[in-house]
Amino acid sequence: MLKFIAKRLVLMVPVIILMTIIVFSIFYFAPGDPVSRIAGPNVTPEVYESIRQKYGLDQPFFVQYLRFVKSVLKGDLGISILQDRPVIEMIRERLPVTLQIGLLGFVITFIIAIPAGVAAAVKQNTIIDYLCMSGTLVGTAIPTFWLGMLLLYVFAYKLRWFPISGDGTIRQLFLPGLAIGLTNAAITARMVRSSMLDVLRQDYIRTARSKGLYEKVVIYRHALKNALIPVITIMGLRLGWIIGGSVALEIIFSIPGLGRLMVDSILSRDYPVVQGAMIILTSSIILANILADILYAIVDPRIRYS
Amino acid sequence: MKVRKYCRFLLSALILVLCLSIAAGCSQKTGAGKEPVEKVLSIGYDRDAEILDTIKTAWYSDALIYIHDRLITRDYEFGYKPGLAEKWDVSDDGLTWTFYLRKGVKFHDGTDFTAEDVKWTIDTIKNPDTGSPFRGDLEAIKEVNIIDDYTVEFVLNYPFPNLLYNLSATASGIHPANAYEKYGDDYGKKIVIGTGPFKFQEWIPGDKLVIVKNEEYNWGPEWMSNRGPALIDKIVLKTIPDENSRVMELEVGGIQILRNVPEAHVEKLDNLPDITVYKEEATKLGYLAYATDKEPFSDVRVRRAINHALNREEIIQFVFRGYGEVAYGYLPPALKDEYLQESKDLAYEYNPEKARQLLAEAGYPNGFETTISADNSSKSSKLAEIIQNQLKAVNINARIQLYDSASYTDMLKEGKQELFIREYSWSNADILDWFLLSKQFPYPNHSRWVDDKTDELITFAAQRPTWDERAEAYKEVQRYLIDQAVWAPIYIPKQMIAVRKEVKNFKYHPWMLQYNDGFDLVVE
Repeated sequence: MLKFIAKRLVLMVPVIILMTIIVFSIFYFAPGDPVSRIAGPNVTPEVYESIRQKYGLDQPFFVQYLRFVKSVLKGDLGISILQDRPVIEMIRERLPVTLQIGLLGFVITFIIAIPAGVAAAVKQNTIIDYLCMSGTLVGTAIPTFWLGMLLLYVFAYKLRWFPISGDGTIRQLFLPGLAIGLTNAAITARMVRSSMLDVLRQDYIRTARSKGLYEKVVIYRHALKNALIPVITIMGLRLGWIIGGSVALEIIFSIPGLGRLMVDSILSRDYPVVQGAMIILTSSIILANILADILYAIVDPRIRYS
Repeated sequence: MKVRKYCRFLLSALILVLCLSIAAGCSQKTGAGKEPVEKVLSIGYDRDAEILDTIKTAWYSDALIYIHDRLITRDYEFGYKPGLAEKWDVSDDGLTWTFYLRKGVKFHDGTDFTAEDVKWTIDTIKNPDTGSPFRGDLEAIKEVNIIDDYTVEFVLNYPFPNLLYNLSATASGIHPANAYEKYGDDYGKKIVIGTGPFKFQEWIPGDKLVIVKNEEYNWGPEWMSNRGPALIDKIVLKTIPDENSRVMELEVGGIQILRNVPEAHVEKLDNLPDITVYKEEATKLGYLAYATDKEPFSDVRVRRAINHALNREEIIQFVFRGYGEVAYGYLPPALKDEYLQESKDLAYEYNPEKARQLLAEAGYPNGFETTISADNSSKSSKLAEIIQNQLKAVNINARIQLYDSASYTDMLKEGKQELFIREYSWSNADILDWFLLSKQFPYPNHSRWVDDKTDELITFAAQRPTWDERAEAYKEVQRYLIDQAVWAPIYIPKQMIAVRKEVKNFKYHPWMLQYNDGFDLVVE
């Protein structure tokens, strides 16, 4: 097992390198540059050049890239061109909120999806099944940001149960977390249902029933545990999608998260921030997938990575 | 069994958390006790600050206006009045300005304000190593000399009455001498020191900026009715990027003031009993520009024709729902001294027939094809749409191309534009220098206008020795520009400020709301 983990961690490195090359290239070739933004209107050509030199923007592609790699290896993600502050500091300020929303979303997903998927599978083709399936259809069709705006309008604006914009408390996280949780639950519930249906057809379930075990024990102890295996794998892959959805939510709910920082930095061509944030994000997603694979191995004794 | 119980437990836990948060929220709102409640004014913004240092930043957060004082201030009539400088003399040749500084002024860190601070601030801005975006604006200053603790002398390279404008700008906020040495790298990020009516308290990037009242402040300019400390205890500048969320926050009272109310919401907000929307003339101007060095726009007849083809009233109705004025000239009328009053008479009235005639004269009886470039904001795309429509009526077929702001700037620098839409926000006639002097070619002179007469007129105006002569000379510039139809000016937008009823003594100031001049908050 440990060898497996180590191998996966090592494979992380080329992926990140490839990602940084891609992001770097995009900024290098994209129109628009950050220097005119910070140099301000009345800038003479000499001052403009000196600012470009200060950020090494006048160097050829590979020189700039190698400089960047060197500093990352030292743990320094660079300095924001726009705010003149270390990128790490900026990311550190913004990351917790995004993670909290994502985590809340995840929790809500499981709380809703598992009971719903199980009920739909166990009571297949009954009214419960049809209700759940229509619900998931709606949930899959609704874009996360639209749901966010709806929740904001009803629960924050009309009912005043929650703040409209960030007020620094936990309450500001609930609605965006709910938006992510609900839309994600729709997809997850379907997965749980189809996985359960598969498992319930298996011979060992018939054996368990004929042994005389209570139906509840059959469903939850035997069937569900096995049904959850593919679901866990999918959830790992969903992480990237969840973070992407959080960008629009961070704008709608005025939450100072990492997603918004990325978008703002892209629009103002503050590429050190974008690079830094992308590295953090890519690493998190890869780690989450490794975690999912490990969980997979724990849950299913048949799987062993040797 | 266990799993199910666990799920139930989780569900109840979630519901419990939900109830607790709602309860916590409710109790907050019903108020706590009878002690004097802090008066906190919250204002909504669509952008956050970047660097909190007026010397180094290119984008000035409003907070910087209240944290610092400046040598010169502008009163409610937009005239120039004493600020940190009680009075000033200008030598006969216009090359030496002597400022007599106010005494008894203190910085937020307790130190006294003296001539040394003025010299340090100006020298630091002018020092190339600082990289200040404001450096070019102070080009006219040769050197700053300290005569004594409360007297400073500015020696200029040439007569420059516009120094009044530059020294009253946000960028000229006075800092304590040697601030960079004293406070190091944190200055402009975690620490900002000024002499203003409000002190910097904290900045949570992306979220909010908080400034608190300066209890020691009692050197407000003479034209303010309250020259002492502000009545408001704290101002929170909240970053709320989404337009609809900003308006919603205003309606529920999360923020009390919203500047730049989107036109679509103005009527609804105005009709609410809690909210008043003030509609004032902004110092902004929107225009359609030409790449004047390219055919067919190099022909003045074509430029005039397009001016005649535009129905400006219709544009303002369509894009701004009527909240705006027609722009006849090249400056906003709010600049009372410098604006050419006859602009309306000299401008090109809406007359498609005349437009077609002029085009035919210029050799385009069947019109021509072109491209309209604009940034991708909803306002600009609407402008592009309606202009495209109006030009079609005179046989000019334009396709629209939209860009995000960074790419737009790049494109303009490369000079690919033909017809394009721009708006400027500036309260001084020198904006004409900025856009139309030949030395500014190709950017920011994106009209690509290289004309000796224009250069002559503008340079003459910019170097007049007194403010009044300067204003008169700029009127000549405007006359010539209108005649040459260098642009097709379209609109002067209204600045719309929505204010909740909790805010008392609201007074509109053409430059920036002066929150320490009597603004008060009724806290329920």
